[in-house]
Amino acid sequence: MKKFLSVMSVFILLFVAACSNDSTASGDDTWEPEKTIEIVAPAGPGGGWDTTARMAAKIFEEEEIIDQGLGVVNKPGGGGAVAWAYIHGKDSPYNLFVNSPPLLLVPLNGQSEYTFNDFTPISNLIADYAAIAVSADAEWDNLNELFEDMKKDPESIAVVGASSPGSMDHIQFVHVAKAAGVDITKIKYVSDQDGGALTQLLNGSVEVFSTGVAETVEQVRAGNIKVLGITSEERLTGEVLEDFPTAIEQGIDASFINWRGFFGPADMDQAALDYYEQKFKELNDSEGWAGVREQYGWSEMYMDHEEYVDFLTEQEKEMKALLDELGLGN
Amino acid sequence: MDIFDGIITGFQVALSFQGLLIVFIGAVTGTLIGMIPGLGPITAIAVMIPITYGMDPAMALLLMAGVYYGAAYGGAASSILLNAPGESMSVPTTFDGYPMAKQGKAGKALAISAIASFVGGTISVILLTLFAPVLASVAVSFGPAEYFALMLFGLLAVSSFADGSTVKALISATIGFMIATVGIDGQTGTTRYTFGNANLLEGVDFLVIALGLFALAEVSSLIFERKEKSVFGKKLGSLQLSKNEVKEMAGPTGRQSLIGFLIGILPGAGGTIASFLAYISEKKLSKKPEEFGKGSIAGLAAPEAANNSASSGSFVPLLSLGIPGSGTTAVMLGALIVLGVQPGPLLMTEHPDIFWGVIASMYIGNVILLVLNLPLIPYISKILKVPRPLLISLVIVFCIIGVFGVSYNTFDLYLLVLFGIVGFFMARFKFPAAPMLLAFILGGMMEQSLRQSLTISNGSLFIFVEKPIALTLIVIAFLSFIVPILRNRNRKKIDEDSVDQKYNSM
Amino acid sequence: MLNTLNKKLALLLAILAACYLLFSFRLPDYPYVPVDSDAVPITLGFILLLLSIFLYFSKDESKKEERRLPKGETQVILSVLGFVILYVFFFEIIGFVLTTALFIFFNSLFLGFKKWLPNVIVSLALPLSIYFLFDSFLQISLPSGILPF
Repeated sequence: MKKFLSVMSVFILLFVAACSNDSTASGDDTWEPEKTIEIVAPAGPGGGWDTTARMAAKIFEEEEIIDQGLGVVNKPGGGGAVAWAYIHGKDSPYNLFVNSPPLLLVPLNGQSEYTFNDFTPISNLIADYAAIAVSADAEWDNLNELFEDMKKDPESIAVVGASSPGSMDHIQFVHVAKAAGVDITKIKYVSDQDGGALTQLLNGSVEVFSTGVAETVEQVRAGNIKVLGITSEERLTGEVLEDFPTAIEQGIDASFINWRGFFGPADMDQAALDYYEQKFKELNDSEGWAGVREQYGWSEMYMDHEEYVDFLTEQEKEMKALLDELGLGN
Repeated sequence: MDIFDGIITGFQVALSFQGLLIVFIGAVTGTLIGMIPGLGPITAIAVMIPITYGMDPAMALLLMAGVYYGAAYGGAASSILLNAPGESMSVPTTFDGYPMAKQGKAGKALAISAIASFVGGTISVILLTLFAPVLASVAVSFGPAEYFALMLFGLLAVSSFADGSTVKALISATIGFMIATVGIDGQTGTTRYTFGNANLLEGVDFLVIALGLFALAEVSSLIFERKEKSVFGKKLGSLQLSKNEVKEMAGPTGRQSLIGFLIGILPGAGGTIASFLAYISEKKLSKKPEEFGKGSIAGLAAPEAANNSASSGSFVPLLSLGIPGSGTTAVMLGALIVLGVQPGPLLMTEHPDIFWGVIASMYIGNVILLVLNLPLIPYISKILKVPRPLLISLVIVFCIIGVFGVSYNTFDLYLLVLFGIVGFFMARFKFPAAPMLLAFILGGMMEQSLRQSLTISNGSLFIFVEKPIALTLIVIAFLSFIVPILRNRNRKKIDEDSVDQKYNSM
Repeated sequence: MLNTLNKKLALLLAILAACYLLFSFRLPDYPYVPVDSDAVPITLGFILLLLSIFLYFSKDESKKEERRLPKGETQVILSVLGFVILYVFFFEIIGFVLTTALFIFFNSLFLGFKKWLPNVIVSLALPLSIYFLFDSFLQISLPSGILPF
């Protein structure tokens, strides 16, 4: 009898366990991927979006955070617009994509019908900041000196960046200049998309270079250029980087974050969103991802879904105001 | 560390057993990838990045240098055998390489290209060894005004592609330039001629036009000849060159190796401009310009020497300044960062093993590729013996893979077909395709540099006059455009007069 | 008036130039640069217009016989074009391997490749090997379509 009872209880336990398993699998409150997840990099191989997507997929698999396979697919074109249309068309929790400020700027410039509101922000992982650099022998030693001269004689100072007006390199500079009181409609901005922007600064064709912090480090070390200001809230850490003054500490109240995070399709199922939010949190906290961040010199900037949505809404408002003032908004 | 010590260090890295093995593997892999039309050095290097993860940086760089060279060698094969250039700098290789292959001299054409590449590669690496640090200042000497002048120089050379009618060549070039204006304009952010299609925002991809106008259009003539018995005899794979042929390629190869290197140093479109200019200038210098486009040895050797030389030249700004001068070196820069090496002006002093290791690997890579490629030529040439109907299908499939591998997009495949149709009619109506492609490549950059210059100068054209390099290039550009047209006109007049006389005497 | 080929082509090109010019003039203004995005296109449009006038009056040096396609070949070319368009259309829907296999097989057969066995072998082996090479080694994902891998 005793034996029977114990066997019986094991059976009951098993049965209950099986049932509860069943109910979680078929219920609405949790979600698990059942096939390969596709992460879209809205650009060709080799760039920031592609690297982030591939590295995330790699760490997800290596550290067994997600059991399913993850594939990275490149969808270049239209500064991201082609990929956004693709994700919108798929509308499946198995298609995610990686993005950054162009997701706000490209639609604001009227180059894509989809805005971030047409997607579900899952979580942000990393941040990069802008740097404003001049030639090492330039007369300016800080942002205020530069902006004073720009107010007096805007025609004599040209700014170069690697993207067209209305996109990141332009807007990050305009954002800081405006906070310093420069008339932003008088800024002379030149775009060089064939990789010649730094060359133009080095040979004196232009006076100012608007770029990412990482691109300036080696040139600063070699004494070719100097960085007048960066757009982070506080000073960065690391050799050379810690010497870069922020715009804020120079009394210019402006910051610009080149955020990078992951998105899903519009109106993602709450269960699927919870699942991914959890997994990206695990990714962000993993050792492997910390190694990736260090390798590429990316700063950590984690935001969960809710924080991300608030942040993006705020950012969009700011960008739109700038573009409207420039007459670039659509 | 002086140059001598440096290069010794470099060879110690590259000549180790491991180093040699890695350069060899890289060269073979690169050649194989490069042979697929559409897949060029950029893809080949991008593929290597995850593989080199965790390798010793110097070894990883050897691998990538090997792959890079291999892909450049391999790319010539698809240009010569299938008229399918995989990247912009190997377009001029098709002009005479493909006609030679059609005449049953594929082996010879591949041999010429391999030898010219080897010479160009080696001469430029010697220059790189001796002058890399000094040349850093040359690399940044070009501002927007100088680039504009250089592009203008290249663009106005289209008249020399005019086989029959100059007007048709100019029309072809103008349309090519127009295609380059499609997409988001760099200087204003305005979208031009995209008709609301997101796929056109970044413009039309080079490969779509090149494979459409050249490879797909050529498929139609393969179709017409499909029933003809293949004309290729036993000589197809033969790589023997006569003494005269060697003599004929010596001059162009030497000259264009030097010029190619200098142009390659300039960040921007180095390799493409170098190979087009090499072709054009050799045509002008040649005693037999009428052979160009019909299988001229000089016409094949010149661009091959120039583009390989320019490829090494593009390492000058990368290694001495950390500025990537081309798409390929940009990918290499990314790869270096992954390896924990930040290329910049201090690379040479802080990582001499890497700097010199790369240079040494170029010497070795060039030799390995020549040794590897020459014996393979007879086998590679055999692709032309594939029965015509099957060959036609394969060329089409490879064009489609090539384009899809770059754009991942069916829209571009339809565009490819469209350009194939355009190319077909252009050939029928005797409009040359080369000016269209040349203007497409140079036109976009020319427009941007023109407007960059004028923004900087606040609209004053004086900027082109006060810079000596720019002014010189502009003057040469106009002279080289106008003189041949005037000469042509005189020649035509004489021809017409003699024709009239003939009719009169009848 | 349009009796020669050059004249017909000239008219076609002039229409192209006119359309291009029309769109160029309608490009929006950007007030902060001295040379706006329409300047170069407008110049190009007028150059093409001018060149088409030159073409109109230039002598036709090609002979009609050269241009005419060999007999019955128009249909062959159009059929191959049709195959290619079908191939592209189904490329992403059915996937790379199947469409490529079908295209190689039927296109080669249509053009007169009568050896069945080699045709079948090439049609199957080539797409499969390329697919796996690209997917696993080159990390270029070709459309998998309806196949499970």
